[in-house]
Parts: sequence; C-alpha cells; structure tokens
Amino acid sequence: MNEITNNSSKCSMALMALHNVLDPEIGLNVVDLGLIYEINFDDVNSKINVAMSLTSQFCPMGESIIAAVKRVLETTFSGMDIQLDLIFNPPWNPEMISDKGKEFLFL
Amino acid sequence: MFTPVNNDTLVKNTSYKVVLPFYLYAALSFLAATVLMLFSASDFTGHYFHPRILAITHVMALGCGTMIILGASHQLVPVLINGRLYSLTLAYISFILAATGIPLLAYGFYFFNLGWPAKLGGLLVSAAVFVYLTNLAVSIIKSKNENIHAVFVFTAAVWLLLTTIFGTLLVYNFTFVVFQSDSVRYLPLHAHMGIAGWFLLLVIGVGSRLVPMFLISKYTNTALLWIIYVLLNSGLLGFIVFYLYFPENYYHYVPVAAILASLGLFGYYCYNAFDQRIRRQVDEPMKISLLSVIMMLVPVLMLLVIIGSLLAGAVHTRWVLLYGFVIFFGWITAIILGMTFKTLPFIIWNKEYHLLAGLGKTPNPKDLFSDRVFTSMSIIYLSGFALFIAGICFANIFILNIATILLFITALLYNWNVIKLLMHKSPQT
Repeated sequence: MNEITNNSSKCSMALMALHNVLDPEIGLNVVDLGLIYEINFDDVNSKINVAMSLTSQFCPMGESIIAAVKRVLETTFSGMDIQLDLIFNPPWNPEMISDKGKEFLFL
Repeated sequence: MFTPVNNDTLVKNTSYKVVLPFYLYAALSFLAATVLMLFSASDFTGHYFHPRILAITHVMALGCGTMIILGASHQLVPVLINGRLYSLTLAYISFILAATGIPLLAYGFYFFNLGWPAKLGGLLVSAAVFVYLTNLAVSIIKSKNENIHAVFVFTAAVWLLLTTIFGTLLVYNFTFVVFQSDSVRYLPLHAHMGIAGWFLLLVIGVGSRLVPMFLISKYTNTALLWIIYVLLNSGLLGFIVFYLYFPENYYHYVPVAAILASLGLFGYYCYNAFDQRIRRQVDEPMKISLLSVIMMLVPVLMLLVIIGSLLAGAVHTRWVLLYGFVIFFGWITAIILGMTFKTLPFIIWNKEYHLLAGLGKTPNPKDLFSDRVFTSMSIIYLSGFALFIAGICFANIFILNIATILLFITALLYNWNVIKLLMHKSPQT
C-alpha cells in the first residue's frame, strides 16, 4: 500500500533508503513488507510525513523499527524534520506485502 | 483514510539489565539440576517422595522454569498489556529474593534438612512471587489496557503465590502441626497448583500471543481463549475440592477431563495459528515450542491412568514418578528450550543493535546463537528424554545413567548458546 502523494523523485529516494530497514524477525525490509503506508514531503516547512504500521501492535521490535525508519530518513534528507504517524487502522495485513516480499517469504 | 495512533501506544521494552539475570540463573539451574541427576539416577527407581528427587524437582520448577518465565514475563508483560512494566526496582528485588531462596530450599530438600534453610528458602521464594505479583498488578492497572493474555498471566501469578505459600506451609508442617495430615498427603495439591495453575495457565496465556506473533499469523480467537481459561481454572479448583473432600471417587475424572479439554482447545488454537501463518518456513526453536504443545497432552493422559489405578487401589509409584518427569523434563523443558531461543536473541539484538538498525547490515536475531549447537541440543534432549522414560518404566539404572548423561549434555549445550548470546557484542561496541 505504498502511497506516494507528492514529489515522486524524493519519495523514491526515501523508499530506496527505507529498504535498509529490516524487520529483524522476518528479515524483510519495511517497504516490501508493506509497512510504509504513505510518505509526503512538505518542502515549505522542511518536513517529511510518514504514515507506517507494524505487523502487530504488540511487536516487541516496534521501537527499534520506528527508530530505524526515522534515523534512515534523517540521514538521507538531512535538515528535514521527520513526522512519523503509527497507523493501526487499517491494520497491516499480508496482502500489503510486495511481490518481491512474497517471493522472499515463499508465499 | 489512515487513523494515526499516539506513539505512546507502542510497546516499551523493559531494560535488558532486569531480564538477563533471570535467563542466566535459569540456564545455570538447568545445568545444576542435570548435575544432581547424574548422582541420583538410581533414586528414580524408587518412590517419588525422595529428598534428592524433591531437590531436583524444585531446582527445575523454580530455578529453571519459574526464573526463566519471570524473566521473560518482565519483558513480555509490556507486550501483553501494551504498556510499561511498573517498576524495575521491584523486578530486581523479586530476582534477588528468588535467587537466594531457591538454593536454600534445594539444599534443605537434598539433605532433607527441613529446618531453617528450607523454611527461609520457602519464605524468600514466596516473597519474590508476592513482589512479582504486585509489579504485575500495578502494571496492568496503570496500562488500562488489560486483555485475555494479561488475565491469564495475572491468574497464573496468583496460583504461583498460592503454590509457594502452600509449599512453605508444607515445609513447616514437618516440624509444626500446620495441617491435619502429614505433608505427603497434600503434595499432589501443591504440585498441581504449580503445574496447572502456574505453568499451564501461563504457557497458554503467553503462548497464545507469542505463537501467532512468531509465526506471523493473523489468527486470533479471544472467545476460545476465555473457554480455555474457564475450563482450566474450574478444572484445577474442582481437582482441589474433590481431592480434599471426595477422595477415592470417580468425580476426579471431571476436573481432569476439563483440563484435557482445555489443552485440546489450545492445541486447536495453535494449529489454526500455524495453518494461517504467513511465514511458511518454521525455524527450529519454533518447532520445539510447537512440539511442547503436543507434549502437554501426555501427562494429562497419564493422570487419567493414575487416577484409575488409585481408584482401583493399585497405583504404582513408578507411574507417578514418570508423570512428574514427563511434566518437568518434557513439556516444561521443551518449551524453555524452544522459547529461550525465540525471546533471548531479541533482547540481545535490541541491546546491541537498537541504535544501529537501518544504518548498515545487522545480523538477524536468530544469527546470534549457534543453530548447529541448537539442533544437536534438541536431538540429544529428545534422546535423553525418551531413554529416561524407558529407564523409569523398566527401573533400569544403566538406562537411567545413560539418559542423565544425555540430559546433562543437553544442559551444557543450552548453556553454551545462552552464554554465547549473553556475551554477544556488536562489532561497533
């Protein structure tokens, strides 16, 4: 469900950078896992709004994954403020996994 | 459109500093229990009420099983209640009290000195559980987010407190008149409060959250879990009432049937979680954990036979010994072997790689321990377990000696991997 609503070149860059953030249990990156719902760039206010989810609201690695997403975006777009919204409605589901991810997970 | 939630709703991990001592203590206790067994193999051909068997049972039940569960639950309670653990200090106090009390209790049983060491040990362990229960209760109240899994864990902790208090009173009963009969008569009550009330309830409560989570399964069935909860607790309460007030009566089959039904339903729950899993490849620790679910059924079926023999007036103590062994070295050990290597690697990973995630390649949690040692441990454990059963059945000391050596090697390999995990450092540190 990757929704890129504006500034497609920067969003592509962001998604590429986020390929480095893995869910440590599954071993798959957050983009192919479908955890990144939306990325919006607000160039006027130097802000990046990210809407993302976790495979489970009770994920014990949630803190690490969210911190890594922020860290990667801060590194890639230095000077930009990262606004991260955690979304559980709609909840993540396996249909959100990309074809590449499904192949990785033998789905 | 998307509905964002406050990031505060995210699970807040408990500090590894609180959790890791419990894991280390449990691993060393497992080793200590198998060392004691090396010198006590012949005792397993006699009566189950034997000082060394009592000592080994308590080292396994408290030192290994309970300590690892207490440690893991300090980490998992925030996951279950979606909040924070109330107090790290209370967690430390609970550890110190239990860590001091367990060796005293084991010493008292081993040398059958039920004077101050065993009494003080029992009191310290009870105090540790009371502190844990308080920490748990306040955490649940503060989170305002209790769910069926938290209810299971809380009820299990209440049963554990009742078990340890009752157990301590049984120790006192050897030197003071606390109960009408001798302590041996009440032993089945103490044992089953601990086995079904503490271990079983907790394993189902936590397992029903962890099994779908680790299999990446979306399966959940709260109504089924409530039925299991009611069946298990009413079964245990029924067992206590019938044991005390209606001895030698066929009514005993009713609570055992309730517990058997609850286990069958939990098996059905795990099967559905397994069937609807996203991750098709199941790793070795998860396989052992799922095997332990099947192993849960064995002692309950044995209990039906034991009750039948009791009612017929021909129970053989060997069956009771086998029943206890299958519980402590069967499903409890299997679940510990499996779940240690599902939970501990995450704790270590979070400790070492939390700040490095996303900045470069980091190992997966499962890469932090040796898969080869784990597989060898599993094979040796299952061989030792099967041989020990044969040794008890045939009252054969030679087979028992071989089996205890295999279980000792299992404990060594388990410790090897646990210590490897505990010593792991990221290349950057």
